Amino acid sequence: MAVNATRSDANVIVGTTRAVEIPKQADQSIDQLRAAYRRPKVIPFPKSNPYTPEKAQLGKILYFDTRLSAANVLSCASCHSPAYGWGDGQPRGVGHNMRVLGRRSPTIINAAFGLVFMWDGRAATLEQQALGPIQADVEMNLPLDALLARLKALPEYGPLFKAAFAEPEITAPQIANAIATYERTVVSARAPFDAWIEGDEKAISDTAKRGFVTFNTKGNCANCHSGWNFTDDSFHDIGLPSEDIGRGKFLPSVVKMQYAFKTPGLREIARRGPYMHDGSVSTLEAVVEHYDKGGIERPSRSELMKPLRLSTQEKSDLLAFLNTLTSTLVPTTVPVLPR
Amino acid sequence: MREFIRSTRQFTIPTIAAFLLGAAVASALAAEHTIRQKGKVFSAAELAVKKGDTIVFLNDDNITHNVLSITAGNDFNLGAIGPGNSTPVTFTKAAVVDIICAIHPGMKMQVKVSE
Repeated sequence: MAVNATRSDANVIVGTTRAVEIPKQADQSIDQLRAAYRRPKVIPFPKSNPYTPEKAQLGKILYFDTRLSAANVLSCASCHSPAYGWGDGQPRGVGHNMRVLGRRSPTIINAAFGLVFMWDGRAATLEQQALGPIQADVEMNLPLDALLARLKALPEYGPLFKAAFAEPEITAPQIANAIATYERTVVSARAPFDAWIEGDEKAISDTAKRGFVTFNTKGNCANCHSGWNFTDDSFHDIGLPSEDIGRGKFLPSVVKMQYAFKTPGLREIARRGPYMHDGSVSTLEAVVEHYDKGGIERPSRSELMKPLRLSTQEKSDLLAFLNTLTSTLVPTTVPVLPR
Repeated sequence: MREFIRSTRQFTIPTIAAFLLGAAVASALAAEHTIRQKGKVFSAAELAVKKGDTIVFLNDDNITHNVLSITAGNDFNLGAIGPGNSTPVTFTKAAVVDIICAIHPGMKMQVKVSE
């Protein structure tokens, strides 16, 4: 049954939607499920911006440099800090002049594997995303021409840009490419879950194993939180009581995109609260409760959101499973900044 | 006036017949293609069709999908299509049409409609 289909203009004729028989998809065995969660062996870098150590190092320096903000106090790392699972631990981000923003700062963990960026998907690439917050007046509030003037005035930056790009001038695309390259190197470390996926039966508890099965079956979680990074980058209204229409701003004709936000990955999730796009849910327990109840019913709400009727045991199993996604993090060193 | 109408009819009826015959031939020649959506992917990333051809978008996945043209002038939006539903879309003008699932950004395809 098609819901809210928009009919076409004269160049395209949309016919009537009909129900058809499709083969029922067979239930997967636990081994088949586990195979879908194997970690990738390499980080994907785009052909348009390939990895070099010099570029990643420059990107790291830029990422931690507070001079990328108008007031010289905010860096990318202020809101996407390694100390907080590459978020900021706050319900909502805090920008220029301590202004509280509308949404929670998303983690950059595993951004290399993302299909689109920002909660509302408005950045098509990580390079595009990197320059957005720098210029946004509510975030870092620094126009690109001012940023370029600042960096060019710092003599120690010149050789770093030269080593990374071998071009005569520092440019905005170089800044974007360097930051994006560094961000792509931020990949979640191996967690107990990974050891179990690779065959170590003792790596996680039986409770967590049951939670994994619930995650993939009755819990409906894996319909969106799929694969090793636990996201397919899909957009859904999960029924939160928020005025923010999210993806709907960019796709106003698509009812299901109203109040829809990008599915976040779940790596290091126990360290990344508070939760949801607006930080409105404080604990993972409360997150599981929200999904169990199904959220606010409205036309845009995803069909996947409905009362799950999970038992207390199943909820507890799910939480045990989610905790197996936490790795033993190695502290990130902060770079010495060019003067 | 009456005469004019009569003469117009005399002229029009064979024209309509010819048109209908032409349309029938065109319809007979028009092809139907099916694009499936199982596993959160369109079954073809690119599809070349002729003007007048129909693509049937079949959701043979186990979750809801959307099919949305993001090419101005060839706009259509199939809304939320649940599993086990199919919708025919006929392309009547030569164009390159980019299609996505608004829900799943990994689902993209391009339809090249030729004369």
